[in-house]
Amino acid sequence: MSVTAIKLADVHKHYGHRDVLSGITLEVARGAKVGLIGPAASGKSVILKLICGLEQPDRGTIEVFGESVVGKTEARLGDLRQRIGMLFQNYALFDSLSVAGNVAFPLEQRGGLSTDEIAKRVETRLRAVGLAGSEHKLTGELSGGMKKRVGIARATVADAEIVIYDEPSAGLDPVTTQKIYDLLVADQARTGATVLAVSSDVVALAQFVDEIAFLYRGKLIYRGPAKTIFDATDPVVRQFVRGELEGPLDEAKQVEDEANA
Amino acid sequence: MSYARTRIERIGDAALGAGRAAIELWLVYVSTIAGIVRGFSRKRGGRGRPKGELVRQMFYIGNKSLIFIVVTLGFIGMVMTYQACLQLSRVTGDFSQVGPQFMRLIISDFGPTLTGLMLATRVGAGIAAEIGSMKVTEQIDALRMSGVLPIDYLIVPRFIASLIMTLMLATLGSLITYGAGGLTAEFSFGVNPNTYYDLSLLRPRHLVLFVVKALAYGAAIPVVAGFCGLRARGSSEGVGWATTAAVIGSSFAVIVLDFLISAAALFLTDGDL
Amino acid sequence: MIGERMFEGIGAGAIRIAQEVGGIVVLTGQVLRAFVPPRVDWRELIKNLHKMGNRSVPIVVLTAFFAGGLMVLQSGPFVKKFGATALAGWGAGYAVLREMGPILIALMFSGRVGANNTAELATMTVTEQLDGLRALAIDPVRFLVVPRVIAMIVTLVALTVIGDFVSLAGASIVARAMLDIDWSTMYYSFVDNLEPYDFLHGIYKSIAFGGAIAVTSCYFGVTVRGGAVGVGRAVNAAVVAAAVSIMLLDFFLTYTTG
Repeated sequence: MSVTAIKLADVHKHYGHRDVLSGITLEVARGAKVGLIGPAASGKSVILKLICGLEQPDRGTIEVFGESVVGKTEARLGDLRQRIGMLFQNYALFDSLSVAGNVAFPLEQRGGLSTDEIAKRVETRLRAVGLAGSEHKLTGELSGGMKKRVGIARATVADAEIVIYDEPSAGLDPVTTQKIYDLLVADQARTGATVLAVSSDVVALAQFVDEIAFLYRGKLIYRGPAKTIFDATDPVVRQFVRGELEGPLDEAKQVEDEANA
Repeated sequence: MSYARTRIERIGDAALGAGRAAIELWLVYVSTIAGIVRGFSRKRGGRGRPKGELVRQMFYIGNKSLIFIVVTLGFIGMVMTYQACLQLSRVTGDFSQVGPQFMRLIISDFGPTLTGLMLATRVGAGIAAEIGSMKVTEQIDALRMSGVLPIDYLIVPRFIASLIMTLMLATLGSLITYGAGGLTAEFSFGVNPNTYYDLSLLRPRHLVLFVVKALAYGAAIPVVAGFCGLRARGSSEGVGWATTAAVIGSSFAVIVLDFLISAAALFLTDGDL
Repeated sequence: MIGERMFEGIGAGAIRIAQEVGGIVVLTGQVLRAFVPPRVDWRELIKNLHKMGNRSVPIVVLTAFFAGGLMVLQSGPFVKKFGATALAGWGAGYAVLREMGPILIALMFSGRVGANNTAELATMTVTEQLDGLRALAIDPVRFLVVPRVIAMIVTLVALTVIGDFVSLAGASIVARAMLDIDWSTMYYSFVDNLEPYDFLHGIYKSIAFGGAIAVTSCYFGVTVRGGAVGVGRAVNAAVVAAAVSIMLLDFFLTYTTG
């Protein structure tokens, strides 16, 4: 069993004329909790999708549990993906299914569990995320926070070995944010899963993960312990996490905006 | 000079793009068939299509298009008969052939094709809109994360439902068109119903054409529409684009298939239809 | 039990259709009112003419070609059996000019331009750009809808004219290739048997179809609700409504101007 859960080496990805990722190298050990931050549209979600094989890189290697995900067919990737649980940025809940249907989906597709067992696990999960009794609601009846929680339930119901959270607390009020992060912490403590979390809420993220990496203009320019992120010496990182208005980020964005205009 | 070059480059790009899209479309079709075969050979229930989805799709495609098909094909039946009788009244005044010839044309061509065109609009847009919105809200990615193949899960049920429903709707549509034509002939031109409702010109080869065309359209529409839906990108604009492309693509596919099948039939029967 | 629900469903559907028809009529009224006094945003008009025309020519030409060929394939066996090759052009030409041409081209136009138009307007509505226009005291109907209606009618008529010729050409090519009927026979068949009114009849129809496609596509674009899903549904509704309108108008016009 390999010690490394996720490994990216010199990964490049471009969309049309835009170079989104220019040489990403990242290793996440089993059971580690890593956060990923950076300015908007810097490619954080792209990295997550590449890891799951939902997109293919132009160059570089990506390995999950020692197996490459590059150039694999959808059918082969299916087995690997069953070991990964993902929370999408916009929840990506299935409109045609109820809350229970959504959460049960990964288990049903996996096969090997009876309907009763699945229902029990769904109920347990929903209770854990605080949505007990909402089994039959449809996605249209849910608030943003509730949808997020259903997404988390779906991502964790199969006790996946790797869990990826894309903006678990975006658009939520501070109290709900805290509840969500408490939930994530408890889940990870229970299963010992490897966690990769993308978030714009650095404060909350720092309480959850061990390390934080900073993605800026296609490269990972920083990686360090979460506890000391606010004292980072790199000026870009420093300005970002402290929310300061002046600094290299400001000028760089202006140049980029002009280039894209 | 350079203007001409970029013009040519653009045409070349467009042609390449079209070629690539055509190949991808063919792959979708092949994957759909493969998905159906996979469905038959699979023992365990996992990674398959949702329960009852086939029936739901049949209802969606069939039931919900019923009134639409009846109305549109009814009207067009009336119009075609009217135009034919009008022209005949100028030339020969002999309406005895209208009924039998119309029946032949409906079975071998207009019935399935007009139904196909109407369904291309309605069902094509519907499928592309549904699948397109799923793509744009990342639900397709979420499906893939659970190990589901979008083609198996989304397109295969629609494919099978469309095959069945197009055949049934084409049958109904043909009857409606013929009947509406009969009413027009009777009330506008005084044609005796006994003369009109005459199936004597109908031969087995016409029925074969009917089935082949209906099945061809039934196969083409969900594949083209599903393909466009899966390619949607962006947000609302992307869905709009996908739906537009699906309607044109499916309609055009129906017309081209009609042409090809008719030409082949003509060739095989040496002009004897 | 089932009967009850079925009636409810039919009732609800009927109400919804009535609402939509009403809405479309209201929009038509607003559009017509905007012609008095005739004040049109020329830039929008030219932009739309360009966009809609350019986009549709390839698909319409292809469709018209195949439609013409199809008509010949259908009337071909009949003609050949009776040796009436001189009438081959008549059969195909009559059907094309009066019915198949205008209808098929209108359907394709509805798909290409109408659906696109709905998608554009729907996206603008969903992103609140229409509200923005109103806040600037610009009437969306006059500024957006009217230029598009005019552009669509003009473009569809032009496309039908082009399409008619392409259809006849397509018919001739297929007649030559598959039925061994040569060009001059076809040409004279057209000229001897088709009247200018056959052509005009089709053009009247395309004016009506253009108006119908324009108004329905704008209506469903502007009354959209919901996000991306709503846009898809709006386009769906628009093409279906356009197709039904085309059939109804065709029927009406055939009987009154036949």
